[in-house]
Amino acid sequence: MDPSIVINQVSKKYRIGRGLPGIRTIFKLGNSSNDEKYHWALRDLSFELQPGESLGIIGPNGAGKTTILKLLSKVTYPTKGEIFVNGRYSSLIELGAGFHPELTGRENIYLNGTILGMRRGEIRSRFDQIVDFAGIDKYLDTPVKRYSSGMYARLGFSVAVHVDPEILLVDEVLAVGDVAFRTRCYERMLKLLENGTTLIFVSHNFSAVQRVCSRCLVLYGGKLAFEGNTAEAIAEYSNILRRAAVDSSLTDTQENGGLSKRVMTHGAVIESVQILQDKGQSTLTFSKGDTALVRMNVRFVEAATSPVFACTVRQADGGIVYDFTTHWANLTPPRL
Amino acid sequence: MQRLTRTFPFGYRDLLVAWTLRIIRARYKQSVLGGLWAIIQPAATVAIFTIIFTLFIPIDTGNIPYILFSYTAMVPWLLFSSSISDMVDSIVINMHLVTKIYFPREIFVVAAMLARLMDFAIAFGILVLLILFNRAPVNPWGWLSLPVLVVIQLSLSLGLGLFGAALNVFYRDIKHVFTLALQLWFYATPIIYPINLVPTHFHKFYFLNPMAGVIESYRSILLDGALPTSNLLLSAVVSMSILVFGYWFFRRVEHLFADVI
Repeated sequence: MDPSIVINQVSKKYRIGRGLPGIRTIFKLGNSSNDEKYHWALRDLSFELQPGESLGIIGPNGAGKTTILKLLSKVTYPTKGEIFVNGRYSSLIELGAGFHPELTGRENIYLNGTILGMRRGEIRSRFDQIVDFAGIDKYLDTPVKRYSSGMYARLGFSVAVHVDPEILLVDEVLAVGDVAFRTRCYERMLKLLENGTTLIFVSHNFSAVQRVCSRCLVLYGGKLAFEGNTAEAIAEYSNILRRAAVDSSLTDTQENGGLSKRVMTHGAVIESVQILQDKGQSTLTFSKGDTALVRMNVRFVEAATSPVFACTVRQADGGIVYDFTTHWANLTPPRL
Repeated sequence: MQRLTRTFPFGYRDLLVAWTLRIIRARYKQSVLGGLWAIIQPAATVAIFTIIFTLFIPIDTGNIPYILFSYTAMVPWLLFSSSISDMVDSIVINMHLVTKIYFPREIFVVAAMLARLMDFAIAFGILVLLILFNRAPVNPWGWLSLPVLVVIQLSLSLGLGLFGAALNVFYRDIKHVFTLALQLWFYATPIIYPINLVPTHFHKFYFLNPMAGVIESYRSILLDGALPTSNLLLSAVVSMSILVFGYWFFRRVEHLFADVI
């Protein structure tokens, strides 16, 4: 069987800076003059997907994840390399593409459906399913400007998955819905996979990627950093970020379970962080009144005279619950 | 270098229709007068010119009342000018879609034009009533050639619209350039004055303006009960050339839209 998607040595560069493009750039296809500044969003990326396969793509912001989806959906074109896409695709780069706020839910279903490539007849025959999945039957003839953001997203997702695509491209768009709706979205994606749809899923939500995708790419700085099964990819992603943290000092590294490390110097690497109970067991669950012990293994690459260690406990939304440093506590770590 | 293959077993006809309807519906949602605006605009313009050119500076339009004389020209002109302004803006105002989802970008431009045809149809209906009321002579062959006039004028606007829409993505000044050009173009076309007021030795240049031949032909058919004027041929040739150029330019730069916009 022919592969669904082939990406062969694809690179994409974007012009940066605010200046207007020269007349020459517009007329000479891509043969740009050297005085303009460019940024490579992707470099020499290659991969292949068979029909019915699912691929996760993870990586920090600006790694080139969305660029891949845009290239696959033909929104933009590669600077170098070749792309083959075989089959009808639907992309979830934006939920509710083309929705007009003044038009009703019904009118927008037809509009969005045709934008995603359905014929009117196809939409008509799937109309009830779309409405049912989105759960908006009561508001079908209300302008979508009166919808809540959740309803809007549900309707957008519902139309997109009913395109019955051979290839589905999903960007980080599901974050808007509530938990129940997200669960239904993942179920729907799994069902499409069973029916032979090829899926590419870009997300920061590792558990979602793990749930939907067997294979996963890790992108870093526009380059392929790792390719393999999803569990390994997620582990590798943490390693990549940790190594990167040594190179560029101010990067938070995400760890499973919510423990992260930030190294402010090139002179040291935090190898591991653990939170321990009184009895010395590593855990992430504490009850009120418990004492928590933080243990870090730090490897010093250079000699350090008076290192300061800090610890911050945050809420899920990033708000600080508690923080302290050894400096505030007037603790003097052992001289190294 | 790059080969993008995919099977696309569904045409874009439905999308073109859906997008056109979206523009029309959205235009008159939450508006009291709705479709009546399609008549109010030409009627108001014609009214003011009628006051000026019958009371202040009388213009001789033969046995045709000035109001009918200018309305006959104003209706096709407004189709021309409003569709071009809409088309020039059509890609830029949909940039959130251009950067997110693919379908042929021409659809934005063509739909912007087709949506104005709706207004044209309404205003033209009123024009037909006026003509019948005024008992202008009717030549069936002339009336049958009306679609040809519409096609010629639409080719011209589409050519300019495609060119302007594409260039407006790169330089937003283009929108203002077109607004200004259309204002001047209005006076270079026989809309508020008859062609016989233009000195004969100017005609050679005057009819290089394709809209001059088109508007004259509308008048010849609708008011004089005659056939299109011979200048229409030149208009057709110029309009088709502009359409070919506009489309060629659009296709040539289309792939840059998402990156530049």
